[in-house]
Formats: sequence, structure tokens, C-alpha cells
Amino acid sequence: MDQAQPDDGKGHRRTRSAVKATRPRSSTKGPLDMADPLAPPPPTTQPSSSSSSSSSTTTPAAAPLSPNPQLIPHQLTPRMHPPLTPRATSPLPRSPALSPAPGTTRRPPPATTAPGPRPKDFSFLLRPEIFHPLTPLSIPPAFRNSAKQPPPETPLPELLEKGHFRAAAISAVQTLTGTGHATQPDPSDHVRIFELLYTRWACLTLINSTDLAAQEVKALGDLNSAFYLAEDAASGRTNHLVPWALRVLNVRLQAIGFGDLRRAVMSYYELAREARVKLAEAMGEHDNSSRELWRERLEDLGVRVAGALVEMGDVKGAGEHLRGLKIGDSGKMEMMRALLWLRLGDVDAARGCVMKGEGRGVTRGEKVVLALCDMADGEYEQAVGKWRELGEEEGGDEMVTVNLAVCLLYVGKMQEGRALLEGMVDTGRSSHTLLFNLTTMYELCTERARSLKVKLSEKVAAMEETNDGWEKTNADFKL
Amino acid sequence: MSHQRHFSDAAVKEPHSVSLKVLRLTRPSLVSQYPLSPPLSSPTTTTSSLPPSPLPASLSYSSTPSSQTTNPHPFLLSPILALPPSFGSAHVGTTFSCTLCANHDIPPPIDGGPPLSVKTIRDVKIEAEMKTPSSPTLIPLLPPPPSSSSATNQEQTNTTGVDLTPGSTLQKIVKFDLREEGAHTLAVQVSYYEATETSGRTRTFKKLYQFVCKGLLVVRTKTSALGLGKGGRRRWVLEAQVENAAAAAGGQGEEGGGGGEVVYMEEIGLELERGLTARDVNFWGRGKNKEKVVLRPGEGEEVVFIVEEEEPWDGREEGEGRKVFGTLQIGWRGEMGARGFLATGRLGTRFLRPREQGGVKA
Repeated sequence: MDQAQPDDGKGHRRTRSAVKATRPRSSTKGPLDMADPLAPPPPTTQPSSSSSSSSSTTTPAAAPLSPNPQLIPHQLTPRMHPPLTPRATSPLPRSPALSPAPGTTRRPPPATTAPGPRPKDFSFLLRPEIFHPLTPLSIPPAFRNSAKQPPPETPLPELLEKGHFRAAAISAVQTLTGTGHATQPDPSDHVRIFELLYTRWACLTLINSTDLAAQEVKALGDLNSAFYLAEDAASGRTNHLVPWALRVLNVRLQAIGFGDLRRAVMSYYELAREARVKLAEAMGEHDNSSRELWRERLEDLGVRVAGALVEMGDVKGAGEHLRGLKIGDSGKMEMMRALLWLRLGDVDAARGCVMKGEGRGVTRGEKVVLALCDMADGEYEQAVGKWRELGEEEGGDEMVTVNLAVCLLYVGKMQEGRALLEGMVDTGRSSHTLLFNLTTMYELCTERARSLKVKLSEKVAAMEETNDGWEKTNADFKL
Repeated sequence: MSHQRHFSDAAVKEPHSVSLKVLRLTRPSLVSQYPLSPPLSSPTTTTSSLPPSPLPASLSYSSTPSSQTTNPHPFLLSPILALPPSFGSAHVGTTFSCTLCANHDIPPPIDGGPPLSVKTIRDVKIEAEMKTPSSPTLIPLLPPPPSSSSATNQEQTNTTGVDLTPGSTLQKIVKFDLREEGAHTLAVQVSYYEATETSGRTRTFKKLYQFVCKGLLVVRTKTSALGLGKGGRRRWVLEAQVENAAAAAGGQGEEGGGGGEVVYMEEIGLELERGLTARDVNFWGRGKNKEKVVLRPGEGEEVVFIVEEEEPWDGREEGEGRKVFGTLQIGWRGEMGARGFLATGRLGTRFLRPREQGGVKA
């Protein structure tokens, strides 16, 4: 190259001028104002003097998320596993065997509790003011007044089995706060408490109330706090008292609650670091089932990080992140990458994900990607053909039918699309997307869409109750 | 759409038997999902078993045996598509597309009385025009003007009109390339013949939909002369900064990060005047080992071209004091592949003499 050339190396920098807030939002109004959401152990607990204060603001680990057995972290990071006093953590609820802590440097608990060793007190998670009431007004009358509404004494597992997620969310809180039919868990019974909390918040995300869950989850404070750790007497290992599923869900909810999605990426990395440690332990002990468990969890976290990056608007970064992941299922990886590039608008790259090499573009997933690519190129007629073909290969595939119906609207055949979606509902399908698309078509079909929507809600309310979720919200029908 | 005005025939008080509904057809979007482990079965950290498969309700669509292979859970994005939830924003360089539905609405019976006698609706026609900030007249979209050749055959039916049975719909799709910033108005007129057992009449109504079209990409260019190149040819450097001028999504800060208009640069090229060649000296672009260029709101990217004459310089400068290169053309894609295209005005330089310097290498 010529020396006279401009400094083109510099020409490729990116100007990011947007000023970004780095501080998470302070807590919102409401009953939670009383408690500082960031304070690790709430005041009613016994703070461990050795606890390493709020550690959630440290930088994420640089360790890649792929399960690489060669890269086993040498030691547990002291920050995550502070030298706690030995404590037995029985997984059994209400176990009397909860061994007392041989009080080292613990301060005595507040006046109400008797001095002396006692199990960890989780009563701060049982306070009614943590939880928000759920309004039944967001439920269409067809569901609200249905005979299928479960009686209040219905046990929680049955509510979940039948997809009564709003009722389950309410029931879980009633149990936690001791206002329901089931007995309130003992403040030391962390297994039961976390199980109920997970049920509550998972169900809230399923009934379009993720924002509420994001506020309520602040009550947990910092899950990295040493307060949530316990040492297993038998193995001498440090275990986290909070179930994995709740910790994973907590990452997303806290990120939403504090209005800072980058926090999610960081927190997933922290979980991943722990998963890698556990994976290494399992491999050291030749514990195959444990190894598989942690390997899957690590993979799961890696995929969730990509999702968090997408939500932050960094689709390109998510793509680069995925490239560094090892996912056992190559078809799944292909689909993930293709969907990412489609979201970004790089249709060629999306096609490339499924068309590289010979004999590609033949599996069902690959054909789905190719049909989506046609739509992204605006070639809706071609896409209709591909969706029809996929539909003929296997009838009753909800995704394929919904996408065909959407595509038909773009080629001016909405009536046919509408009939397809109605047929899907008739076969008992009721995903949010199916209902949303169908009600959107209703809005286009008539000035009086409301009566069609109400009829649709009645039809769905008459469906069998399954764990796909029975009750729907007004938003699902755009009511 | 943002603003809607309704003009009904002043003389006729009776409500229309035909309604018009519209939906802007931006690309459908991939639905996000947040897979969850089923409650009450989540193993504690010490339990050694595989993680349970996700709760069906937390996935974006229900699985059949084979669709398990198409849902990439626990990934956020899933292949099921949702129709556009709102109008969104309109940008210069993109194509505006919209579906227009004329519906024969059946009036509801009054308080449990007998159903009202349904009228016969014949010869329904939809006409659509676009008013842009600079055009003095409306630009016809539907039926398409005779000049736009390809679509005419398909759209032939529109000129003849369609009969609508009760509850049925005439659906049309219009497209318009947005080239100007400012207020646009889509004017739609529906006409039909309404017949009862005893009489009949032709009725029309018009609806106006207003929206504002904004610029998305801002391009700034700069040229400078280089020393004479191989064989004594004149050379210049053309630098261009492309910036995504979209506002970050609704002031929601980080949360809205995914909601702004993200632009994937598909290509930036020069359309040169005769006698010139250009070399792209950028590291990014399409193809292997090239980096994707993605501009989020407020972000910019610089591109550089070396423009060279094909013939050796004879020492003469252009009489008009300016050397014209040509236009810079930018093609981009939005979310789900929505296309955008912009061309700059004719770019050129006033630096007509090669840069004086020692030791020009071939």
C-alpha cells in the first residue's frame, strides 16, 4: 500500500456517542421502599461477619462459557465462597437435623430471636409486603367467570398441572405469608420457601406480569451473598441454598427490576463460573450424571447470555458469543445462529447457516430457516410455498401453520390465513403468538372485531386445562 | 397509524356497510421466549439428574414431536412469527407497505331482534394515493399507474370491482418508496354499490392516514488528493462517514436497547463516472473474514475509497474547477431483513492537482 494512503486503520473505529447510565435505577415506589434492595442480607437475618459485601458489581469473568474440561478453575474464588462457618444443609424440609452454627464471630441476632446457635432465618422472604396483589381485571370474563376456575383450596401442584398459573402465583404467596390453606413454611425451611418463590415468580412471567416479578424478586437481595451459602457437613463442599432454576430466573428478573440488562450478562457469567467449578468437581469424581447436569447447565447459561445480548440490542455481539459456544446439538446451534442473523437483517448469513456444504437445507429446521429467509427478503410468495410444503410434511405444527398464515396476509390472502389460525385454535392450540396474530386479523376483517375477540376468548376458555396454560389475559386477545 | 381522519358523505347519515381497516406491513418479527424449568420439580443444587425439559407454557409455541427440533430453547429467539404490533417508524430509503381491507360488515341485530336485512354489496373498489411533502399532487398507488408495468396484470381485477358477501373482505396491498423526509398522507377511497330489495345506490368514503417519514442514515463525505499513482494517474481519497441518526428507543435507556432502529450495512459502493476506478480499502463488508457493520442508534462508521483515473494525467485541470466522482450508494437491512437504500448526490473534489510529495511508490 501507498504511504500516501490515509490512515485507514483508524478509519474503522466506531463512534459510540450515546451516554449510557451506569448506575442501576434506585428502587421503585411501593412497599419495597422500606428495604434497600441491594443490601445483601436483610436486617432480620444474621449477618455473617465474613460475608464479602455486595459483590454483584464486580466485573464478569473472562472465562468462556463452553464446557472445556481442560480449563478447570483451580480454586473456588474466595469472593463467592467465603470461609463460612460449617453448616449442615439438609435438603429435607423442616429437618430437625439442621445443625447449629458454632458461633464464631457472629453477632447476636436481633432482640426477638433467642441468643445462641440456630438455623438461618428466611422470614424476611415471608413478609406480605413483598408481594403485589394480582388483579383479576386483566382476565377476560370468559375465563374469570368460568366453572374451570379452581377453588381456592386446590393444591399447588394441581394448579400447575392444569395451567392455572395466576392461581398458582396467588396460592404460592398465600402459603408463604401464611394466609392460605396450606401451612406456612418454617422460616428456616429454605427448600420449601425457595420452591414457593420460584413458583410465584415463574408463574408471574407466564401471565404477562414479569414486571411485578421483577419488583418482588428484589426482596432476595444479592444472591451472591454468603448468607445464601452453606457447607455440606458430609462432603465439606459449599453449596448454594437457592435452587438453580431460581438463581437463573433471578438473573433476568433483577436485570429488569434494576433497569440494567448488562447486569444479566454479568450475572450469568457468575453462575457459569460456579457451574464450571461444579463440573470440574464432578469430573474429578467421575460422577457422570452430575457431570452431565452441570455441562447442560453451562450450555444453558451460554445460550442465555446470547439472548441477553440480543435484548440489549447487541445482536452482532451475540453472534460472536455463540461462535465461542460448544453446543452438542448442531441443528439447534444452526437454528440459533440463523435466527440471530435474521433478526439482524443479514439474510445471506442466515441462509449460510443452513446451506453450507452438501446435503444441507434438508432437515425440517433448515427448511424453516430458508422459508424465514424468503420472508426477510420480501419474497412472500416463495415463502408461502415453502411453508405449505412444511405443513404438508407434518400437519398440526403450530409454528409452521402460524407462519404460513402470517405469510398469507402479506400476499393478500388474509382470509385463508385467518381460517388456518382458527383451525389451529380448534385443535386446542392457544399460544400467545397464535392468539395475537388471529386477533390482529380480526381487527383487519371488521369494524366490530371486539365481538370476534370475545368469541375467541370463550372458545379458548372452553379448552381443556393443560400445563400449556389455560387462563389467558386481555392482552392476549387485544381486548 | 398516527393520525386518522374520517370523511363520510355529508348527505348520507346512514352508517356505511363497508368498513376500511389498514395495517402497515413492516416485517413480521421473531417471537422471544423465556424458557423456564417447571416449578416444584426443580432439582436442588445437589441433586444429580438432568435438568428437566422446559415448561411448555414458557415456550413460544407448542411442540409436536418434530417441532421440538425446530425450537432452539433455551434461546431467546424462536422461529414463530408475530404480525407487526404497531405502525413503527418510517424512514427515508425504505419501502412503505400497507394492507388495505374493505370489509362487508354485518350490522349486529338490535336487542335480540331479528337480524337486520343484509344489503347486497357489489363492485367494491379501493383506491389509494400518497401525498408527499414535495409533490403538488397525489401519487396514485392503487390501482397502479399504467407506467408501473409489472403489477398491472395482477391488479387488473381492482379496476373492475369485487362483490362482497356479508362478512367477507377485499384485501389489497400497496407499496411506496419513501424518498423524502416529512409528513406523508395515505389517502384511501372506498366505493361500492349498495343494493337493498327495493333500491340501490353507489356510495364512497375516504380515509386519510398521516405519518412522518424521518431520515435514518446521515452521510458526510470528504475528499483529498493523493500523489500521482502508477503510470502517472491522478488519485484521490474519498472518505465517508455514515451515521445512524435514529433516536434511541423511547428514552427507556438500556431496556430499550433492542428497540431502536439497528442497521446492518449490506453494502456501500461507488457508482463512478466514466474514466474512473475505485478501490475499496475497508476491512468490513460482505464475504469471508470481513466484519459485519452494524450501526445502532447514534453509532457511525467510516468508509474509505481510493479513486483513480484510468488514464495518465496530462497535466490539465478541469475547466469547471471540480472533478466529479459519482454517487455513493448505501444498501442496508433492518430487523428481519427490511431493505433500505440511499444514494448521495454527485460527489466530487476541488483538489485537482496531485499532492506534492517525495518518493511516490508504484
